[in-house]
Amino acid sequence: MANVAVPEVQRARVVVDAERCKGCDLCVVVCPQRNLHLSDSMNRSGFHPAEFRFHGEKGDCTACGLCYWVCPDFAIAEVSRWKA
Amino acid sequence: MESVTETRAFLKGNEALALGALHTGMNAYFGYPITPSSEVPEVLATEFGNPQYPGFKVFLQAASELEAINMVIGAASTGAKVMTATSGPGFSLKQEGISYAAGMELPMLIVDVNRSGPGLGNLGPEQSDYFQATKGGGHGGYRNIVLAPASVPEMASFPALGFSLAFKYRNPVVILADAFLGQLKEDLTFPEVPAPKFDVSWATTGARGPERHLLLSMHLDLPDQARHSEHLRSKYEEVARVEQRSESLRTDDADVVLVAYGITARLCRRAVGTLREKGIRAGLLRPITLSPFPSKEIAALVERGVQKFVVVELNMGQMVEDVRLATGGRARVETVQRLGGLLPSSLDLVHQVEAMAR
Amino acid sequence: MIEIEGHYEAKLGHLPTLTSKPTHYCAGCEHGTLTRLIAYALNELDARERTVLVDSVGCSVLAHEYLNVDAVQSPHGRAPAVMAGIKRMRPDLLVFAVQGDGDAVSIGLAELIHAANRGEAITIFLVNNAIYGMTGGQLAPTTPAGMITTTSPRGRDIALTGPPMDATKLVASLEAPAYVKRVLLPVTPTPTADFYNARGSIEGARSIQNAFRVQEMGGFSFVEFVSTCNVNWKMSILASKRYATDVLAKIFPPGLYKDKFGVEKR
Repeated sequence: MANVAVPEVQRARVVVDAERCKGCDLCVVVCPQRNLHLSDSMNRSGFHPAEFRFHGEKGDCTACGLCYWVCPDFAIAEVSRWKA
Repeated sequence: MESVTETRAFLKGNEALALGALHTGMNAYFGYPITPSSEVPEVLATEFGNPQYPGFKVFLQAASELEAINMVIGAASTGAKVMTATSGPGFSLKQEGISYAAGMELPMLIVDVNRSGPGLGNLGPEQSDYFQATKGGGHGGYRNIVLAPASVPEMASFPALGFSLAFKYRNPVVILADAFLGQLKEDLTFPEVPAPKFDVSWATTGARGPERHLLLSMHLDLPDQARHSEHLRSKYEEVARVEQRSESLRTDDADVVLVAYGITARLCRRAVGTLREKGIRAGLLRPITLSPFPSKEIAALVERGVQKFVVVELNMGQMVEDVRLATGGRARVETVQRLGGLLPSSLDLVHQVEAMAR
Repeated sequence: MIEIEGHYEAKLGHLPTLTSKPTHYCAGCEHGTLTRLIAYALNELDARERTVLVDSVGCSVLAHEYLNVDAVQSPHGRAPAVMAGIKRMRPDLLVFAVQGDGDAVSIGLAELIHAANRGEAITIFLVNNAIYGMTGGQLAPTTPAGMITTTSPRGRDIALTGPPMDATKLVASLEAPAYVKRVLLPVTPTPTADFYNARGSIEGARSIQNAFRVQEMGGFSFVEFVSTCNVNWKMSILASKRYATDVLAKIFPPGLYKDKFGVEKR
């Protein structure tokens, strides 16, 4: 992790709708960069929702969209790229 | 059979029904062959593509009556005029679909050419599907509108009446004929019926902007279901208030009124004549709508002083219950029954009624 | 590290073909994933205003709550017949249904086979999780041998109930269907087992779009999605994905079973 360069501005990001999330863990296990993890907090339904962090254990978010494709709950609301 | 190019014809009841449906602009037919109703799909298959019926867009023989009624549901959901025809065993298979259609408020015509039962029965005429047609037949609380033709001309004109009621109330309509009527050949003239257009803004033919159409019979929220059922109930109450239909023969001064529908009404008409000749003041009330049952007419007769009703039916006693209910216990209601697909002769009826009248 | 609002452009985001209602599906269920993939495909085709969804019965019964299109309810198993009625009357509409394995392979098998045999220009998505989900986990025709369900508490006995049934092969054996495909939809474990592969979703998304394309070309399209039901299988979510990959995919091999119009080659 120490060797991964951290850019000034994030190339891409994921917006999670925490209230729609059921903490199923699928986005967490498919993200190639480990940018998603289940948070310790709870949403209104009692689930631990997914949380996005820029620059996960393996690098930046590249907006690959795999989290969006696997999410069963529309909790991955948006996958977006930095527009210069 | 020859294609009908002019409006006068000599046809079987089933044939007349099929052509009557075409004349009133039926769009689609789905059905499964079953005696004694198979002439209906056969005629329609022959007439499919006839430029005389431009509205007739779909004819499909389904793999079962079950498949057929569900195809009817699909086509009806687009706002089309759809019909299916069958007999008792097939009518049983359709009940699930009819229940769903009633819940979704879909207009459609279901023809049951009643044969003997229960089970496989035989091919003779019975009126033993009366309960099934008028009291629901399928699960849940709903009512069909049920029309009972008694002649080949009525077989031809009832599809038009049926569709107009079906679309007016967004409800399934059953035409309850019988095996004899289906096969009976009579002279008729097809009435000039316009092919009316109905309001089908509820149809699921694609969302328009943010609005979309849903045709559901599922209301998981209990109060929602209650509201929906209350709506259905008030609809059925309105139908009962407004759409009762019957025909009376010499009931104005009758002491004993025969009550019969379909082919038995024909026999009773003859019997009434003979009874009158014998000095018995008999009359005939012929329900045309079995649901809503013409209870107002019966109540009026009781009010006028009719003390005796004789219900003649081809079953173990089904319509007699509705007649008893309608008299409110204020008149005697007798029953004449024939089973097994047998028909009484009008002379049999005369003797039986005579015995009851004295 | 700076995140400046307003400079991020959504590559994947809101779909007008989805409502905003949270789903009733269990956490991790492929029904949710499939619903989302279908919504995406309909949006790509700009088909919302000419689409009719036919609801089947099972966990899919509430599909209209999430897919923002016109919908008609169908009795259990009868969706192919209802769809045939709609499509025959209105060939201009895009008509499809999501059916579970109970709906399509048990009670509705006759309707499925006959619609397929007639080559109705409709699309059927079968979610096969080898069990009856909505009703609480009973035996399905697709349940593997030995699986414990509430109506086979000692495990499915093949001698008593027959082996699992392959709907894709049945449909593909008919002459008329134009596109018959089976997709392993769940995430699949990789050898390192700490990373899961989302190939199923991508393949699924493509297959859905192909299926709709085939309908527009006048053919019958059928895509079976081998899926999971972790709650009724009594497994954790990720364990159920492993089970689908290791066991179900062997009984129901994914692949392209029929492609009359060659849509996959494009």
